[in-house]
Amino acid sequence: MTARTTRLDDGVRAALRAAGAAAKKGLADPGLAELVQIRASQLNHCAFCLDMHLAIARKDGVVSEAQLDLLDAWEEAGDVFDARERAALELTEAVTVLTGGTSRACGSGGGFVPDEVYERAARHFDAAVLAHLIGLIIVINSWNRLMVGRRIPPGSTEW
Amino acid sequence: MTTNVETTEEYAPELPVRLEWAEHAPEVFKAMVRLDAAARKGLDARLLELVKIRASQINHCAFCLDMHTKDALAAGESVERLVQLSAWEESRHFYTAKELAALELTEAVTVLTDGFVPDEVYERAAKHFEEAELAQLIASITVINAWNRFGVTCRKTPGHYRPGQHA
Repeated sequence: MTARTTRLDDGVRAALRAAGAAAKKGLADPGLAELVQIRASQLNHCAFCLDMHLAIARKDGVVSEAQLDLLDAWEEAGDVFDARERAALELTEAVTVLTGGTSRACGSGGGFVPDEVYERAARHFDAAVLAHLIGLIIVINSWNRLMVGRRIPPGSTEW
Repeated sequence: MTTNVETTEEYAPELPVRLEWAEHAPEVFKAMVRLDAAARKGLDARLLELVKIRASQINHCAFCLDMHTKDALAAGESVERLVQLSAWEESRHFYTAKELAALELTEAVTVLTDGFVPDEVYERAAKHFEEAELAQLIASITVINAWNRFGVTCRKTPGHYRPGQHA
């Protein structure tokens, strides 16, 4: 499979890289950063980003194999993920899936980030760290869109 | 909140903002502003507002809807085209073929969780936009999705935006 296009403005690429680097620095937790980026890439079905971030996560064991194996079912994974990781993953899912359903009033979804999800995250992360965590979730969502939209194949060196 | 509708009954109170994320993550914010400026280069301003409003509708971002509908109206966009936008598939005669291709691509790139960007959607867009312009369009759809996520997650308050404020 070849890319639809590898075109991307250099300024776009540089700014998004800078946003990601600043977000990761403020989060200051490389393992959690990879968990969050892999989970968003699973939800957005981004093959390129999954390939890249699974490789980073496995390198030097920054995330355990048990966590990588069970990430797609983290809610049912018992104590493989601690409370802080679960709060971050729950926030990742809420921020990533804004579009779901048509009406909260009718119980068919309707998007948004539920208060209880936000508040659980705010209990585990102070405001500055939380702001960077949210930033990182949004940056990986952005890469997911750029890669899926242009269909950049996993492992591709030109993107 | 600003509204022109007269009523004797009170409106519901404004929800407070959850987090002033730009103040807590200023380097991320500054990079996002650079990203926005880089992505919009070369794109038609009128088309770009339609794209931003449609993504903001799908992502339910009240702040971004406030901002981009006001900017669109201030730039001379018609009320009719904005009102019809969430039903554009049934009101195609309000829009050009190029705008329709951009709106379709906007929806596909915005709703990734339901699966990928269909070949026919991409190809229709590629018929109307040459390669560099199409890359800018994809980048701009990505950027409004990012702002939508900041707006919704941090619950930025809609209603106070003045047209051109962030230009």
